[in-house]
Amino acid sequence: MEKISRYLLVFIAILTLAIILPKLYWMAFEKPIRKPFILYSCINDDFMIHRISEKTWEDTKGQQYTREEYEQKLPMMFEKQLITAGSMPDSIKGIALDMRTISKAKSFFRLKANEIDAPFPELYPLFESQSGRAKLDLPDDFFRITWRIEFIDAATNKALEEKSQLFSAALFQKGFSFPAKAISGLATPRKSVDEGYLIIDSKDQLFHLKMIKEFPYVKQIDVPEGLKFRYISCVDFKNKDFYAYLFSDKNEIYILTQDDYQLIKWPVVGFDASNCDLKIFGDLFNYTVIIEAEDHIKAIALSPDYQVVNTYTETWKLKEEQTEGKIFASLFPAQVSMTSDNSKFIRFYFTFSEGFNWLIVNLLFVLLHLVLLFRQRANYRNHAADLAIIAASGIFGFVAVNFFPNKFFD
Amino acid sequence: MWKSIVYKEWLKIRWFLIGYTLLGILGIGYLFLTVKHGFAFSGGKNIWNSILFMGHQFFSPLKYVPLVGGLTIAIAQYFPETVNKRIKLTFHLPIGENKALLMMHAFGAVSLMLSFLLFIGMFTGFSLVYFPVQMVTDSIISILPWFFAGFAAYFLIALIVLEPEWKFRFCYSVVGGFFLTIYLNSPFTGAYGPANTGLFVLAAFLSIALLFSAYRFRKGEM
Repeated sequence: MEKISRYLLVFIAILTLAIILPKLYWMAFEKPIRKPFILYSCINDDFMIHRISEKTWEDTKGQQYTREEYEQKLPMMFEKQLITAGSMPDSIKGIALDMRTISKAKSFFRLKANEIDAPFPELYPLFESQSGRAKLDLPDDFFRITWRIEFIDAATNKALEEKSQLFSAALFQKGFSFPAKAISGLATPRKSVDEGYLIIDSKDQLFHLKMIKEFPYVKQIDVPEGLKFRYISCVDFKNKDFYAYLFSDKNEIYILTQDDYQLIKWPVVGFDASNCDLKIFGDLFNYTVIIEAEDHIKAIALSPDYQVVNTYTETWKLKEEQTEGKIFASLFPAQVSMTSDNSKFIRFYFTFSEGFNWLIVNLLFVLLHLVLLFRQRANYRNHAADLAIIAASGIFGFVAVNFFPNKFFD
Repeated sequence: MWKSIVYKEWLKIRWFLIGYTLLGILGIGYLFLTVKHGFAFSGGKNIWNSILFMGHQFFSPLKYVPLVGGLTIAIAQYFPETVNKRIKLTFHLPIGENKALLMMHAFGAVSLMLSFLLFIGMFTGFSLVYFPVQMVTDSIISILPWFFAGFAAYFLIALIVLEPEWKFRFCYSVVGGFFLTIYLNSPFTGAYGPANTGLFVLAAFLSIALLFSAYRFRKGEM
């Protein structure tokens, strides 16, 4: 029994050390990777790259620019600065420019991988879409979708039966299959208008739900067969071109156009929702799609009709490939973390070190432990399990078996 | 014999357990008084909205309550045993040494569990008055690791207090201190869902940890 308790303690110590020691190592030695800021220029039809830490501005051919020249190449991004400096062009590519048009076409969207793998709320406020008021009011009740849609009054925590039945019937009549797999919308009154929610039902059908004059508006959206959405992010852009960005389980990016409900697939490849961050800058002339992965950044410029006009990729060494990473992989056979950049969930995230250099260090620790045993004149056979633990877990096991010594078991 | 052991343990921890439980009850009462106040002054919909979409965790004042409970009960129960090495008397009882220790330990753990169950029951009951079951479930997922940390702290303190050598007490404290941090991350509500089973198992592993230091204590005395 004592032996079992000791091995459980050794296991817990190894786990704890595999969390703490790598964390301390990276806190001490990790070098930040400065990702460049990339935008597509409608002036010279090339990507403009701002390296923030180096304070350089260049294009993809290596041509260097001053900050002012750089801003002039991106008039849709820096329009206020250019107007202040008096260098804003009157028109570009035959299109007359005014602040209102520029502002209406501008959009920015950002999605981090950890927003997808995250706990989601199960209750949402359904706003009145046509209240006739200038500002939206947060409703008094929130809805959940289980075996039906149910509105719960927040003041009393009681279901609103009449409203629940009305909306449940409307969804049911449109072929909604309860419960919902995902509910996506802008659950805030701080938006220009309310467009309700996009909801994926239990059969992966896509629905649009909103409330108009206290009555349900439900629309089933045609989705190509076999297409399943993994994540939907609703947007509130000034141009009102589309309701949402939709991400399929095959990492395709779609938009859902406003009012006519057309699903349009963007020709964007290289995005992996499980480990990439995504930024999309929209303006009068282009959409710049930025995919940020751990070891590269990919920029894709799309025309206003969503065709690829240019791409640019830049890579860098993973931290594991840098000197600090190689030393890490020699010292530690693995690391465990309770958190991840790609998820908001707490889990035991195991990462095994690349290569087998750590085996050499592990064996050195085995030798060191043998020396300690020799000095203690211990019976080696009683320590075979400890030696095996050190051989497998290296520094973690060495510290663990010495913190919880088994000299009394001789 | 077990009745005598239970009585001895009860005498040691009763006022600490009762005091801690009463303070915990008052704490939970205060927590829901603030929720009630929030409902009255900000409106239920704004409270719900801040919890669902703005990351507000109304239960966050509870974070260290179970940890404090685990530390208190463990110190109350095991520290007196180290004064003049009184634990030796237990080892001379006409039952197995480990059996006697595990009975002591089980009594402390069950006492702590009853206290925790009372807190969780009160928390759930009051929460259901103000929030729908989905929000309550997410809240419970978030507070469970704190209660597991309370048990882990209880088991670890027993391990550390009974260890005869200061050098190893320090080693156990270092490992134990860092180990407890994995229960006390500050994530989004409901984020601990995938980890809770593993965290429970790890805390359960520690339940027999004191047998190791008690063994060393016994061997050190021989």
